Amino acid sequence: MSAPVLDVERLVKRYRDLVALDGVSLTIGTGEIFALLGPNGAGKTTLIGAVCGLVRKTSGTVRLFGTDLDVDPIGPRFQVGLVPQEVNFDPFFTVRESLRIQLGYYGRPPDEARIAEILEALDLTAKADVQTRALSGGMRRRLLIAKALVHRPRLVFLDEPTAGVDVELRRDLWAYVRRLRQEGTTVVLTTHYLEEAEELADRVGIINEGRLLLVEDTQALLARMGERRLRVSFGEPLPRLPEGLTEGGTLAEDGRSLIYIERAGRPRASEVLGRLYAGGADIQDVETRASRLEDVLLDVLHGRSGAPS
Amino acid sequence: MNWLGFRTLLVKEIRRFLRVPGQTVLSPLISTSLYFVVFGVSLGGRMEQVTGQPYLPFIVPGLIFLGLANNAFLNSSSSLFIMKIQGTVVDLLVAPLGPGEILLGFVGGAMVRGLIVGLLTWAVALLFTGLQLAHPGATFAFLVGTSYVFSVLGLIAAMWAEKFEQINFFPTFVMFPLTFLGGVFYSVHQLPEPWHTVSLFNPMVYMVEGLRYGMLGSSIFRPLLGGALLAALAAAATSVNYALLARGYKLKQ
Repeated sequence: MSAPVLDVERLVKRYRDLVALDGVSLTIGTGEIFALLGPNGAGKTTLIGAVCGLVRKTSGTVRLFGTDLDVDPIGPRFQVGLVPQEVNFDPFFTVRESLRIQLGYYGRPPDEARIAEILEALDLTAKADVQTRALSGGMRRRLLIAKALVHRPRLVFLDEPTAGVDVELRRDLWAYVRRLRQEGTTVVLTTHYLEEAEELADRVGIINEGRLLLVEDTQALLARMGERRLRVSFGEPLPRLPEGLTEGGTLAEDGRSLIYIERAGRPRASEVLGRLYAGGADIQDVETRASRLEDVLLDVLHGRSGAPS
Repeated sequence: MNWLGFRTLLVKEIRRFLRVPGQTVLSPLISTSLYFVVFGVSLGGRMEQVTGQPYLPFIVPGLIFLGLANNAFLNSSSSLFIMKIQGTVVDLLVAPLGPGEILLGFVGGAMVRGLIVGLLTWAVALLFTGLQLAHPGATFAFLVGTSYVFSVLGLIAAMWAEKFEQINFFPTFVMFPLTFLGGVFYSVHQLPEPWHTVSLFNPMVYMVEGLRYGMLGSSIFRPLLGGALLAALAAAATSVNYALLARGYKLKQ
């Protein structure tokens, strides 16, 4: 069995009195899209920085492609790409030159075909020979992504890659990330757009105050912790809650609406509707909303029902 | 060793300063040449010979040293410091570049700029003095050694500095006074005590005199002294810089 792409063990980072990473352990396999979620200052960027060589860890072990970075801090980095959170650009060079430089840093000779491909994928072809200082904010963000990917890394870190960008780039990037997964690239993503994580990630990790609270398959997590909210409006007021719905159901004081929260172990929302019909309720309107990753994240952060990783 | 990575950084550094030649080459060339014209041509006729040399050729090695050392220092210090400010230093830190590749890439680029300015200053001087090159090997060694040492020192300054004010500290408050008091325009043997003795603690004196030996064939100190000092400074500065880069001093959190 091949070594995990990334294996972090009991990683600690302290800044004087502040513990930014508090014994984080995490394993990520080949071709996986992993979303690291958490509030600002939770430790997401510090964790990525410790893996990518931007942060000096206090203790713990980081292995990339099976190689301990304490033993060989350079070799594994040939296969890593990073889109940093902060947009940066070198004003002395054009977009194309920036990509050539990036290829060179990673020990790759100039590859014009690859540069053309990545420019096309990120809709930068028209800007290829423009000085980077003349690019708009969105275009600079695209260039940042192109630089992280041009050397075909096996592991890519995207630290809030779509922060402050338009919908079009977000959609383009999502499509490109899916393509990367098909090609076997592993992607670690941090984002504040939770629909992004829900849409893309095979697994999510929730981190807060430097501690990894939970790591779980995205769909399994939603099924386990997610809930469905059912709201039923009645023409004729309902005198009381039907039997068996007292747990999870709340009837409005005027009897004209009912809210029911479906969770694991409770009757399904469709079953509730069936009972209401059977009881002769005068149903006028029905609304349902499935909970999303955002709700689950808030639940875990507030300690409602997170499982340890 | 990531040779291609090193070469990429080196070429990038050279192209960076060549993109703004007016600022990085022409401007220092003009200011150094002005020293030559003012001190050498205007005042030189009224000066006696210095250590057996007419004044005009006497100041040429010092002025070459001045342009070379300043520009080597400024190139590496400004380049890395600007990368820190702009955030592009992240590209270097994440890339598979070790401390050796980063050090040599920056230093190589800075040496090229220092040597270009130094050699162009020499070319301007040739118009007035004609070619004097007594010891080509020693001249080459002092030019290359000086550019190397000041490039490495510039890189250390860039790592240490966190504000623009700090990056200007070394050139303004350390290099400029030491160079001017380092025998560029006079021989330190002409100074009265205690300034003569004080000057002997200024390392620039030995570097300027070493270059003077190479170009003019005469020096008030044995050239090996200057050579040994340069070698010691190069070794010390390289060790410190390598260790700082390996640790990520003020580059990594």
